[in-house]
Amino acid sequence: MRFSERVFCGRLTSDDVGRRVLLAGWVDAFRDHGGLIFVHLRDRSGIVQIVFSPETASCEVCQRAASLRSEYCVAVKGEVRNRLPGTENPGIETGTIEVMTTELIVLSESDTLPFAVSEKAMVAGAASGEADHVSEDLRLQYRYLDIRRPSMRDNLTSRHRIFQTVRQFLDSRGFVEIETPALTMSTPEGARDYLVPSRLHPRSFYALPQSPQLFKQLLMIGGIERYFQLARCFRDEDLRPNRQPEFTQLDIEASFIDEESLYELTEELVVKMFAVGGISPARPFPRMTYAQAMDTTGSDRPDLRFGLRLVDVTDVFTETGYAIFRQVLEQGGRIKGLNLKGQSDRLSKNVLQNEYAKEIAPSFGAKGMTWMRAGNGRLESNIVQFFSSRELDRLRSRFAVDDGDVLIMVADPSPEVVTSALGQLRLHLAKRLDLIPDDAFCPVWITDFPLFEPTEQGGVTSSHHPFTAPDRTDFDPADVEELLTLRSRAYDLVVNGEELGGGSIRISDRGLQRKIFTALGLTDEEVNERFGFFLRAFDFGPPPHGGLALGMDRTVSMILRTPSIREVIAFPKNRSAVCPLTGAPTPVKREQLAELGLLDLGSREVLPGAAEKEDRIDRLSWLSRIGIAAEERAVMAETLKQAEELALIAAGSAGEDEPMYTVVPLANRMRPGTVERRCELSRTGDLLKNAPSVKNGYFKVAGILE
Amino acid sequence: MDPIFFHRNPETATGHGHAAVQGHATGHGHAPDDGRLRGLKVAVQPGVAVKGWPTDAGSHALAGYVSLEDATVVQRLRGAGAYLCGSIHAAEFGFGLAGGRTGEAVRQAFADIELVLDSIGESRVAAARAGVCGLKPSYGLVSRFGLIGLIPSMECCAVLSRSLDDIRETLRIITGQDGLDFSLPDEEAPDFSSMAIDPGKITIGVIDEAQDALPATEGEEFRASLEALRRRGFTLQEMSLPDFSLFSLVHRIVGSVEASSAAGRYDSVRYGPRAPGAKNWNEMYLLSRAAAFGPFVKSYLIQGAFFQFERYGAFEDACRIRARLVREMRRLTSQVDFLAFPGIDGGAAGVPSGGMAGVPSGGASGDTAAGVPAKGGPGSPGEAPSAPRYGAQASLRGVYAEFASTLFANVTGQPVLYLPSSPGGGRAGIQLTGPRLADGRLLALGESLLETDRKGD
Repeated sequence: MRFSERVFCGRLTSDDVGRRVLLAGWVDAFRDHGGLIFVHLRDRSGIVQIVFSPETASCEVCQRAASLRSEYCVAVKGEVRNRLPGTENPGIETGTIEVMTTELIVLSESDTLPFAVSEKAMVAGAASGEADHVSEDLRLQYRYLDIRRPSMRDNLTSRHRIFQTVRQFLDSRGFVEIETPALTMSTPEGARDYLVPSRLHPRSFYALPQSPQLFKQLLMIGGIERYFQLARCFRDEDLRPNRQPEFTQLDIEASFIDEESLYELTEELVVKMFAVGGISPARPFPRMTYAQAMDTTGSDRPDLRFGLRLVDVTDVFTETGYAIFRQVLEQGGRIKGLNLKGQSDRLSKNVLQNEYAKEIAPSFGAKGMTWMRAGNGRLESNIVQFFSSRELDRLRSRFAVDDGDVLIMVADPSPEVVTSALGQLRLHLAKRLDLIPDDAFCPVWITDFPLFEPTEQGGVTSSHHPFTAPDRTDFDPADVEELLTLRSRAYDLVVNGEELGGGSIRISDRGLQRKIFTALGLTDEEVNERFGFFLRAFDFGPPPHGGLALGMDRTVSMILRTPSIREVIAFPKNRSAVCPLTGAPTPVKREQLAELGLLDLGSREVLPGAAEKEDRIDRLSWLSRIGIAAEERAVMAETLKQAEELALIAAGSAGEDEPMYTVVPLANRMRPGTVERRCELSRTGDLLKNAPSVKNGYFKVAGILE
Repeated sequence: MDPIFFHRNPETATGHGHAAVQGHATGHGHAPDDGRLRGLKVAVQPGVAVKGWPTDAGSHALAGYVSLEDATVVQRLRGAGAYLCGSIHAAEFGFGLAGGRTGEAVRQAFADIELVLDSIGESRVAAARAGVCGLKPSYGLVSRFGLIGLIPSMECCAVLSRSLDDIRETLRIITGQDGLDFSLPDEEAPDFSSMAIDPGKITIGVIDEAQDALPATEGEEFRASLEALRRRGFTLQEMSLPDFSLFSLVHRIVGSVEASSAAGRYDSVRYGPRAPGAKNWNEMYLLSRAAAFGPFVKSYLIQGAFFQFERYGAFEDACRIRARLVREMRRLTSQVDFLAFPGIDGGAAGVPSGGMAGVPSGGASGDTAAGVPAKGGPGSPGEAPSAPRYGAQASLRGVYAEFASTLFANVTGQPVLYLPSSPGGGRAGIQLTGPRLADGRLLALGESLLETDRKGD
């Protein structure tokens, strides 16, 4: 056989009937009908059924075919023919044809699989295999098998398709793809850096880039004018379900542009990317200022697939007799609410009071939640009697209330608390009430972010980064009040409540940049130390420029509608930032650390050996999760010293016996009974009686993360 | 605080002979008892689960814990009509005797029986101090379901009493298979019926090396005791176990590893106080467990963690030595009928007056002003371990010195009967042991000895 003659399984059609073909791939599924053997042969293109029949194949080939198993890698020759009527399989694209095999070569065999790779049933209508029930860590450990599954293969090829779309489109718009270094210097992005020790410069470190921010701006100063890169970025952040320590971002920067041209470019690009997934968001994308988004949705990344806008009703209650609202207003607070149109059937008093008011709203930071249900032309609630009819009438008209509606309101002295709690309630309720349409994609630009945020020390800090241009330049850098009114020329692209990317027009004037640093309270020395090399470049005629970065993993995941970004990454880390396939991160040999000069980092002042002993107590304390107070350390050190001596004696006296772990004969035990039953103590709730903290019938523990 | 009882049964014994039959039947919903132990007052430790009783095992790790179920031993004792009078202050997880009052309820006749977790020899040392009998049964005879301890492969529920008969009857009730304790082997319980002992046909072995570590005075006492046995017609045989000193090593390494593992459950989730202020789950463990254990247990757990995580080979070595010691002990017990071991310093130190008034030969028996016996006194300078005794478990080393004569049986799982000193019989307290499951014969031997003690030589 010559592989140059090979054709793809999935490309065969009824036009090929009668043709002799060479196929190669993996045994996806296998059926032996006593003499007649059917195999689903799978390659990258798809699946075709191949048949081993004594009528067309030699006895010897049929015998070898009988020994095939799932995921054997094989090559076959045979003739394409139409399937017999009634045996077609509409579940696969080549379901009307099959290949009568005459030759078979087993290229390699496969061990028993840790999970099923096959996703296609061999018989029409039969259940097909799914990887859903396989633990994700097992899938990641055998990722190469997982990738053989057509759905994973499709995800990766679609990702490629989307990346190609990006490259072609940006190339057509005159953008140049340029790589920036991965070993670089720590940049001011705010997350923790992954550090790489330098062997040649002991005790010095490279940082892996959190984004190519500084380099892309330097490329603009370098006159490239239009740059892009599909850049790998690294952030050592706390674990979150949909976050990876390394991720790919589409990095774009251009000179002599403004916001409008960037919106135009990005929208066209995004529409082309989404088209790969058969999604066509309407252009132009709507825009909301940060203030509008916060006011109406309680979030700076609003999900606009459904209504439920926040309504301010503070003014309705200026003279209210309801004590709680009055106190909130006296402290300068706000009252806002949502109208859940026609939902009163699905939100009972019990649910509103006991779930939302008592549990859910407080978990979102609100001190309480007021609810009213509209029925028979009236508003009903547990507290409605405290409101005047004028207040109730104004509420009805403000929320445009009809019978069947449910109002929820949150009042708090802090407007931020009101907005944030209602924003989260809005999402919670939308999910619970199925208000989110499945196939909607609602992009929105969020603009006019505050340039600064106040710090606890009474100063300001950048909301984005200090190179973001402000909306005006005539401000006084010493006036904190004024600084907090400045808007930035930054923009975020949000789709369905997820931030896909963002960017800004940068500062290109060194005087303005200095003013921003002054506002941030940085001295010249500090500025020079942190950004000196970068700012120096602005002394040589920088062009006006700006750009944007799109999180590609997240974007691809959204386009392909996968449940997590790990489904669109070939070899991702798991939720614990570990790669189950390779085991990374792993300890390294002492020699390696010594070579890098890392052995005694940070402990140079301590006497030799002392640090190791200290470390051992800390390590054992940590491993056994038993805190050890300073005054206990001496006892522990003495204990460990004795333990070392014991270990020595034990080694010297061990002898040859097999270790004995129990002095009684071992007995195998089967728990009696075959029917699962609930422990009586659990049923009665007694099991929780001794627990220090209980919530909703469960043991309550501290959060895994801070 | 009650000086002896950590908790007293709120239901007082009713009717004649203390058997609170009705109180139990109505109060706890137990089936009527079969009456075999009716009238027997039993005290337990705070590490024995009795439904509705505070059960903190003497540890802050379980402060406030109230048992949800009865331990199997408790359920069986109740079923036989015994009255549970309360639980006695005990050391943390019943390991050692520091700070506890073990033995006092029986000595002062508040109870007929005390159940004592024997992890390193507690029952025998406490019996010695209280001047009563104590039996540590063979490992695997008594269900450990509902007993809270630290060293699963070594700890046994032992029985203290003034009367060997009460010990025998109690053992009949509490031994035997238990579907709730999967660690029990498939073995038949020994025959506890009384049997005649003819001293002329009995050989008692004595291991030379077991006496080596004894302080001079105790050595003399022990030799005097052996002489008393010989006078009664028993044949004595000297034997050798060169590795005897390794029992302590094995106990300490294996015990601490098992303790470190067993104490993993005290994480302030299902029970036990939770330290405030933890920002995350790891901190919750660190802070709660920092407060959960006293310094002595904590150092034991850290030592166990050391062997588990840093010197696992030492743990395996210790288990190899354990296999050898068990084999050697089997060999020795097969050559004689019983073995005799020194009866631990019954030195009444720390025990309230009247403790061991009758011990012959002064030595360690007198109360010193500090309540600490002057061990290794005149004539034996520097020979004895200088560890403090009762009430002062300052260090692991000290505890292991304190129980050096008793811990062998926890390593091998053998039964041991402690018989208190007998002024009439001219005998100091003594430990008698045999092979595993020889519990019944040991009791018979003990009864025979006490009988002849009563008659005098």
